[in-house]
Amino acid sequence: MGSFEYYKPESIAEAMALMEESGGKGVYIAGGTDVMVLIRQRKLSPGCLISLRNIGDLAYLDTSSGLAIGSGVTHNAIAKNDIIQTKYTALADATSKVGSLQIRNIATMGGNICNAAPSADTACPLLVLDARVVMAGKNGERSVPIDEFFLGPNRVALRPGEIVKGFEMPAFNERTGSAYIKHTRRQAMDLPMLGVAARVTIRIDGDQIGCRDALCGIENISDILKRFEDEKLVCEDVRIAMGVVAPRPMRAKKAEGALKGRVISEVLLQEIGEIAASECQPRDSIRGEAWYRRDMVKVLTKRAILRVVDRIIRPDDTIWPERLW
Amino acid sequence: MDGLKFVGKRIPKKDAPLKATGEAIYIQDLKLPGMLHGKILYSKYPHARILKLDTSRAAALPGVKAVLTGADVPNNFKFGFMKDNPPLKSGKVLSTRDEIAAVAAISQEVAEEAIDLIDVEYEELPGIFDPLEAMQEGASLIHEELKSNVLKLPWKFVHGDVEASRKDSAFIAEDSFTTQWVTHCCLGTSGCVASFDVGNNLTMYSNTQIPSLAQNDFLEALKAFGLKNRRVRIVQTTIGGGFGSKLDTYAYEYIAILLALKTRRPVKLVFSREEEFLATSPRQPTITKISQGCDKDGKLTFREIEMVLDNGAYTSWGATTPSVMMVPISSLYKVPNVKYTAKCVYTNNTYSQAFRGYGNPQATFAIESCLDQLAEKAGVDPVEIRRINANEPGEVTPQNFRITSCGMKECIDEVVKRLDWKNKCGRGDGRGVGMASLIHVGGAARVYKSDGCGTIIKVDDNGKVDVITGSSEIGQGSDTIIAQIVAEVLGVSIDDINVINNDTDVCPWDVGVHASRTTFVAGNSALGAAQKIKAQIMDIAAKTLSEPVDALDMKDGVIFSRNDKEKNIPLGKVLRKAHYTLGGRMLVAENFYDPPNENFDQTFRGNLSVAYAYGAHGVEVEVDRETGQVKILNYVAAHDVGKAINPMLLEGQIYGGGLQGIGEPGLVPTAPAIANAVYDAVGVRIKDLPITPEKVLRALKEKAGQKT
Ligand SMILES: Cc1cc2nc3c(=O)[nH]c(=O)nc-3n(C[C@H](O)[C@H](O)[C@H](O)COP(=O)(O)OP(=O)(O)OC[C@H]3O[C@@H](n4cnc5c(N)ncnc54)[C@H](O)[C@@H]3O)c2cc1C
Repeated sequence: MGSFEYYKPESIAEAMALMEESGGKGVYIAGGTDVMVLIRQRKLSPGCLISLRNIGDLAYLDTSSGLAIGSGVTHNAIAKNDIIQTKYTALADATSKVGSLQIRNIATMGGNICNAAPSADTACPLLVLDARVVMAGKNGERSVPIDEFFLGPNRVALRPGEIVKGFEMPAFNERTGSAYIKHTRRQAMDLPMLGVAARVTIRIDGDQIGCRDALCGIENISDILKRFEDEKLVCEDVRIAMGVVAPRPMRAKKAEGALKGRVISEVLLQEIGEIAASECQPRDSIRGEAWYRRDMVKVLTKRAILRVVDRIIRPDDTIWPERLW
Repeated sequence: MDGLKFVGKRIPKKDAPLKATGEAIYIQDLKLPGMLHGKILYSKYPHARILKLDTSRAAALPGVKAVLTGADVPNNFKFGFMKDNPPLKSGKVLSTRDEIAAVAAISQEVAEEAIDLIDVEYEELPGIFDPLEAMQEGASLIHEELKSNVLKLPWKFVHGDVEASRKDSAFIAEDSFTTQWVTHCCLGTSGCVASFDVGNNLTMYSNTQIPSLAQNDFLEALKAFGLKNRRVRIVQTTIGGGFGSKLDTYAYEYIAILLALKTRRPVKLVFSREEEFLATSPRQPTITKISQGCDKDGKLTFREIEMVLDNGAYTSWGATTPSVMMVPISSLYKVPNVKYTAKCVYTNNTYSQAFRGYGNPQATFAIESCLDQLAEKAGVDPVEIRRINANEPGEVTPQNFRITSCGMKECIDEVVKRLDWKNKCGRGDGRGVGMASLIHVGGAARVYKSDGCGTIIKVDDNGKVDVITGSSEIGQGSDTIIAQIVAEVLGVSIDDINVINNDTDVCPWDVGVHASRTTFVAGNSALGAAQKIKAQIMDIAAKTLSEPVDALDMKDGVIFSRNDKEKNIPLGKVLRKAHYTLGGRMLVAENFYDPPNENFDQTFRGNLSVAYAYGAHGVEVEVDRETGQVKILNYVAAHDVGKAINPMLLEGQIYGGGLQGIGEPGLVPTAPAIANAVYDAVGVRIKDLPITPEKVLRALKEKAGQKT
């Protein structure tokens, strides 16, 4: 590891000025859990490091209308937030599973997204939560939907010198929930073999008592889904996102289209899983084989949607029967 | 109550505060005046000819003090069990971890930069990565100077008549099992600091687990480097885990020695985490063909095993693991007829080494998986077949192991009880239970000519005790165990005992930390030394107190007469008496303990260990049929441990063993117990480790006639 200057600016403007001074050779560093690894592996040799950790303007977490999170907020701070746990649950699912506690205490969501690994855990949740990425640059602020922010593996829509200020998500109604399933070989300290997130808004035309009871009990999945069907549980709106199955985290838009507005049933969820699987292009890698990843997209899409519905119907329940989803 | 004060008690590890506070000195922490930093360049390809190796740019980099290549290794020196491994390779590389150049520089950063400046041109050659392919007729030779890729090693054991009993067996199960590379993954990476004095005597600071054998290896190297009649001193820093990885000497150590010789300065070479994965020697993968038979009642009739081991490109002591594999193959359960052959085969893979269990886990995986298959064929419950054939006290096994105590059946029964086996077995509803047993050496193992360990005890003027032992502390708690034993004998507090165990200049000889031998051998050695010193102390005290020796006792550092409590003298005072009296004496005792076990003879028979450890592990799993994931719901490990000197440390060994694959015997039955439980849960048998979700799901789909 070579040696380099390390700057600790206290404002966005100061940070951008330092970057400009370095002639673009500097590298922003937040928690450093990606940057330092790259430097140690000597895949990155920055002219200087510009730390974003002392910039107060990147450290906000505002839940007054919708959700606004500064890029410098750590995974652990996000995972522990009550509002995020109940209203943006997919994000809590993801941030609580990143690396280890040591990593979560220092690594930021901004870093996770800017690094843009296909396996970035927070990417799928942000995709299903309709997040916008707010960026600060020389000419002021701009924002883009997160789907347009990811360009490819480790490539994002930041212009030279720009800093991600934070993420904005809309408020969702009571009948909306979300979930993220991280499929790993180990329980900790592992990148996902694949990840699936879903956000669903449901409409219940009939009487939902049966569904609720079924979810509390130990009925098998087929029986529960039969109740959904009988009681006309309609999927009013849906987002599905998948990670590690394509060069960048992606939405399963065809699957979303096929589910939206329809009554949830076992046959339909099976079909949705198949469609989602057909939209992705998984590869063989040391973490998993392509056929397996594709298969798991089918299984986990179904489970993620079930988990979301469960969360919407039983928001206050503390008893979670041990289930596969 | 047995009246023991320290032995059998849950006493925390003596070095725990040092480790918890970060005060323990690991090799990473060590700094010597003038010390340089070494770095190794590894091959880019697993098999290639080196066409050009230009180090001039590296040598010219400011701060670089030495650059070495294969041409700088004197006298074609090679090391390792088969002496097939040059510390720096030239001409041809045989694996991706082949060391082809090394530098010493004033800092780690400069050393790394210099490595980048070395220009190498390769001509890539086709490699052989599969031992079966390497064994084929006409396969190209990994070592061109040898006639075959199969190592010339005598791994064969025959007992009784397998062919005949095969014909007579009522049921036979036959299958193939494979196991994978497993890295030791020590938290403390490998490393050393090599330092020469003006007389060219070498001091090696190292985290080896075999100080005495390493000393010998390095003496041989010095001779080859033209330094005859020199001394080698090994100083062990705190060891951050070994598990067998540090049971040998390695290229990086010889490279550090060569760099230190060339620069005349201490050279530190410590592995990065990546290097630890890339350039240390993992457990050897095995391909095992096994058949076992039983009579109509489920009694075992024979066991036949043919095994192929991936040796990798060079040879370590790991090539002798088949000798320990013979322990379960010949003696796990009563088997009257046994035949076993093993071949270690050169490939272009990284070379393998011993790993906790020393081959036993690979053999037990095949035996215990196949035993369940046999039970199914014979229509016998998996527990029953194990009970019917369980080893028993007083038995002499085909390898002439004389089984003294043996709690195998009790262990099996305990697992059955605690797992609620009867209600949980055979449901096939996604949840299932599985079991596997183990045998391992439990009272040392005479793999070398000696299985001994020395201890020296001296007591100082203040009544404090120095115990100088040959055995190494590798995290297992040997320092604590030894202190407990000595404290018990002498009747002093455990805090008054200082264990010195890391310097060959001071410590007596020991064969190394392996084979779960330390508590037993080093403990007995310390026990003998403690008794000897106690006799000396009592002798002086008797004279001072004018009491007969056998009336004296020692407690809390005070010697007193049982006849008259008024007659007493503190230990320190006895010592001062010994020193300050005209014609005085020193209070030092030494003891060498070499257990009464036997080397194998030519046919691999002999009572290798004075006691054998038995155990059984059971596990309940849940298999997710849609994802193939296996969840462990419950894990029961029952071990016949004899007397636990320190139950806390013992539990540490078993928990750690369970998790790692899951001391040494602890991890042996883990994989087959889980494989058997998966079969019980969903009816698919995974014969190829590791048991990944992909394999389980693929097998489930195949069973259901679906494609993947
Ligand atoms: C042991 C370990 C385990 C891990 N496990 C996981 C895991 O389970 N899941 C997972 O998704 N990731 C994992 N990671 C990767 C990493 O921790 C995450 O991606 C983390 O969120 C990165 O955040 P950071 O603050 O450390 O980013 P940094 O390393 O500081 O930065 C990452 C990149 O983003 C840029 N950047 C950071 N902030 C900004 C900003 N505000 N504006 C513009 N550019 C910016 C940096 O220049 C750099 O290119 C792991 C890493 C390690 C070392």
